[in-house]
Amino acid sequence: MKLIVLGINHKTAPVEIREKLSFSANEVIRANRSLRDTLSLSECLILSTCNRVEIYVVARDDCAGGIKRFLSKLRNIEISEFEKRLYIYEDSDAVKHLFRVAAGLDSMVIGEMEILGQVKIAYQDASESKTLGKLLNRLFQKTFNAAKKIRTETLITRGSVSVSSVTVRLSEKILGHLADKKVLVIGAGTIGEQLLRYLKKNGVKIIVVANRTYEKALVLADRFGATAIKFDDFPQDLIDADIVISSTGAPHTIIHKDDVLRLMPKRHQRPLFFIDLAVPRDIEAEVNKIDNVYLYNIDDLQKIVDENLSLRKNELDSCNEIIESAALHFKNWLVKESFTPLEMRLSPTEGEIR
Amino acid sequence: MCVNPSIDFILGCKSTYFLLHIIAIHISYLAFFSAFLSALLYLIQDNNLKNKKLNSMFSRLPDLSVLDRWNYISIGLGFPVLTLSIVGGLLWLKGIAGIYWVWNTRVIYSLVLWLLYAIILHVRLSAKMRGRKVAYLSILAFFIIVFSFFSACSSR
Repeated sequence: MKLIVLGINHKTAPVEIREKLSFSANEVIRANRSLRDTLSLSECLILSTCNRVEIYVVARDDCAGGIKRFLSKLRNIEISEFEKRLYIYEDSDAVKHLFRVAAGLDSMVIGEMEILGQVKIAYQDASESKTLGKLLNRLFQKTFNAAKKIRTETLITRGSVSVSSVTVRLSEKILGHLADKKVLVIGAGTIGEQLLRYLKKNGVKIIVVANRTYEKALVLADRFGATAIKFDDFPQDLIDADIVISSTGAPHTIIHKDDVLRLMPKRHQRPLFFIDLAVPRDIEAEVNKIDNVYLYNIDDLQKIVDENLSLRKNELDSCNEIIESAALHFKNWLVKESFTPLEMRLSPTEGEIR
Repeated sequence: MCVNPSIDFILGCKSTYFLLHIIAIHISYLAFFSAFLSALLYLIQDNNLKNKKLNSMFSRLPDLSVLDRWNYISIGLGFPVLTLSIVGGLLWLKGIAGIYWVWNTRVIYSLVLWLLYAIILHVRLSAKMRGRKVAYLSILAFFIIVFSFFSACSSR
């Protein structure tokens, strides 16, 4: 009896291949059943996210070839197209791999939280498909435990690791709750858009967009339920803005220290957070020296992201320790149970065939 | 505490005004200590943000807005209580000495303190100053409290 995982992820395959092999949420349950029945597997589970497709099976013999053929037929794609991208792990290696995946150690952004939820959903789907048996059930329970342990006992999830999340975190540290804060966006480029989406998700309600081409400001404003204004009118909005995101293509700075100094009494010295995403920069660096004014440019933000990422990487050793010990426990359980899933899962029909 | 058990002092201690003065001054010092603490944390956090040092200290310290509010509320509570304490002290002085005013260090310190906190509240309320500068003033004022404590002890 073997535990096998076969899969592709963002490290081994480009998105063109991953999307061909991926399963949508509503077809996973059917696919689980069809996979089990086609290859007469003891247990199986499909995990499909935008960065990975993995198939966990418990089978009597080596069924990797069968799974490849199943995928090829189901997805109408030649085996040769994806075969080289596949990784296959067995037994202890498969256990450790799953532990790593669920804890976010195998993710594009190391330590990200989303993957654990996706693994849980895959587990629930498989449970609903009735393609789980004693081994995979126990394996996934232990996976959730190990992931939780890694999350609470190491610093792997600490610190923001994207420019957007770093910015939101900084905004909150400067301004407190963002719900009643006003954001002024100067320049309707795409760089600021992701950040804007993130700010909105974190409660920002009032957004004003200024752009040289007014129509572009309108388009962006429309998408975020914001107000568009003429470019020349933006200084007026600086008075009551709390967060200013600038990403114009201007060849020189458009906001200067003197302007902001004059602005502060009108703002009643309320704190002001400037985010300069433009290259060349839009905002004079000296602005950061004014009391209650904070200026971060794209390099500052990127540097914080890199620092946080390297902090997470430093935690990998302690994560691996937890994984090794959890994997060892699981192996001991397998031995103790002298695991023979076939007998345990023996249904009347299978019995007759034997 | 610097207790000097002179006859006057013991007599004075029985006065309600004296009691008011002593209780109020301790409450106000507590409030000003709280203002001092929040100001100190504000300066540390502000420094982290200005210099882009987002270490674990940065994560653990509260938001600037919280620290600023904490400082404002502390002084807002401490100032009226300090005023009460000074009024109590002057009335007590009148009771034992028959005058409202003597030029001793303790009285002068109280006056300076009262003025300083009045200024802090004024600039804060009128939005002339905020953040770092208010934090510096809160720290300075608290140092004067500590100073006045020692000088009061040594002058007795």
